[in-house]
Amino acid sequence: MAKRHSDHSAIKHGAGNAFIVLFLIIAAIITLFPIYMALLNSLKSDGEMLNRILALPIRLEFGNYADAYRKIDFLRSFWNTIVVTITGVTGIILFASMAGYKMSRTPGKLSNFLFALFVLSSLIPFHSILITLVKIAKEIKVQGTTVGLGLIYIGLGVALAIFLYHGFVKSIPRDLDEAALMDGCGDFRLFFVIIFPLLLPITATVAILNALWMWNDFLLPLLMLTDSDYYTLLISTNMLFGEYNNDWSAILASLVLTMLPIMVVYLLLQKYILSGIAEGAIKG
Amino acid sequence: MNVTRKNKQTVILLAFVLPALLFYAVFTIAPTFGGVWYSLTNWNGLNPTYEMVGFSNYTEALGNDPYFIKSIWFTIQYVIYMVVLQNVIALLLAVFVESRRHSKVLFRTIFFTPNMLSLIIGGFMWVFIFTKVLPSIAEKTGFLFLDQSWIGDPSWSFYSIIILSLWGGVGYQMVIYIAALQVVPEQLREAAAIDGASSVQIFRHVTLPMIYPAVTIGIFLTLSSSFKVFDAVYALTGGGPGRSTQVIALNIVEEAFRFNQRFGYASAKAIILFVIVLLITMLQLWIMKKREVEA
Repeated sequence: MAKRHSDHSAIKHGAGNAFIVLFLIIAAIITLFPIYMALLNSLKSDGEMLNRILALPIRLEFGNYADAYRKIDFLRSFWNTIVVTITGVTGIILFASMAGYKMSRTPGKLSNFLFALFVLSSLIPFHSILITLVKIAKEIKVQGTTVGLGLIYIGLGVALAIFLYHGFVKSIPRDLDEAALMDGCGDFRLFFVIIFPLLLPITATVAILNALWMWNDFLLPLLMLTDSDYYTLLISTNMLFGEYNNDWSAILASLVLTMLPIMVVYLLLQKYILSGIAEGAIKG
Repeated sequence: MNVTRKNKQTVILLAFVLPALLFYAVFTIAPTFGGVWYSLTNWNGLNPTYEMVGFSNYTEALGNDPYFIKSIWFTIQYVIYMVVLQNVIALLLAVFVESRRHSKVLFRTIFFTPNMLSLIIGGFMWVFIFTKVLPSIAEKTGFLFLDQSWIGDPSWSFYSIIILSLWGGVGYQMVIYIAALQVVPEQLREAAAIDGASSVQIFRHVTLPMIYPAVTIGIFLTLSSSFKVFDAVYALTGGGPGRSTQVIALNIVEEAFRFNQRFGYASAKAIILFVIVLLITMLQLWIMKKREVEA
């Protein structure tokens, strides 16, 4: 009886297994198909693309890339995206870690009130503040530049980061603070020299979440960056798509160029990125 | 002595919090209150002066703006599809991926890949798939159902938008579910298997109750992000043809920045979106937390 049962379940197990593998493989093909198609056809001439869209290119047409590189002004767009992301991420890490740490360590009504004030914003959808945000940005002259856009991201993203730091600081023993203060170490030195390095795991999470957000964000840069000198990769690609609607060789090549930096980063850091995402989602 | 120490503590607290608070106040708090204020005015972006008009923007948006109402229904339809499909597919993928020994990391990496890209990039790639690749496959293989007007026909473009959104969002949800599954103790499943439970039974009665909190988070995240959907629709259809696939966020942005720049009116719509998202997510959390406690 026991034996028959195990045979039965082994067969069922085998069938179930085959189904799972098949399901995963089909899902993986669907996932990668658009990226593969973009890459494949970005290397074909227009005529070849029309006739042999699924086939490998007869001859690699790198001219599409030269064309796209020029049309989206790749280096400048790339640099602009980096400036936005670095400004935003650095500001968020610096300010959120300071605020999160101190609010977590200080008891009392004021501290609780400030923390609640930051946390509440997670309820507000971005589109609900967008219109007035654009007006304010214009008035205080941060509209139109990449550094200005980075500063706006600090204001939009600092709250979630504070929440993450606030929770993490609780795992660092208070004795450390007290010992340092006894030794005559000032509050700021204590934070930057002793505490900040210990926050590294959560700093990595905050950096990954925010860098991904800023790098891939579209609507805010679309409204903020009106001068083509300051276009980010996404905005340049969007403009190209709007302008050369049917020039698929240039569009696909520019999509591949735009994807390239983030794909390299993903392949190098995927372990950290996936754990950062999971942590951010569950705690946030 | 005690008072001065307390004062000093307050000063230091403020010194640490001030930089963050400053940015937060200017770019989040001020626009929030500003949005509420302007929603009660007839301000348009071009005219420097404006006057209070009470709730007339709200009554106009909800009573006399068929495009806005249509965008709300379209968004709700989208949200329902996304909440169900995204979570079911992500949970399936998570369970299947976790059941692999050697290929686990490979599959996880592949399924998360689209999440690294902006939906604008993903959207343009899918436009290529829908308008060039699928018709070509249909022609060569005879699978004529693939040759549809995926972008141009509103009844099909709804599904195109869903396909793109699922493609771009399922991996994120899957990562959350994988993290939850990894916490479920192996012994529990083994014990159930020894007692003769099938793998479906084990999933239904052992695993699922254990990861219920993650399901709450997953549904909450898809609910709140689907209501705000913008990029996927912008890249794929731009809200068209006409305004047939316009979602709430697109309607608001076009009202404010494209057509007549009625900032006050668009702000009222933005507040309506806020209230809808708030009510529905609160309701969801309340219902699911109650069930969590019972289970």
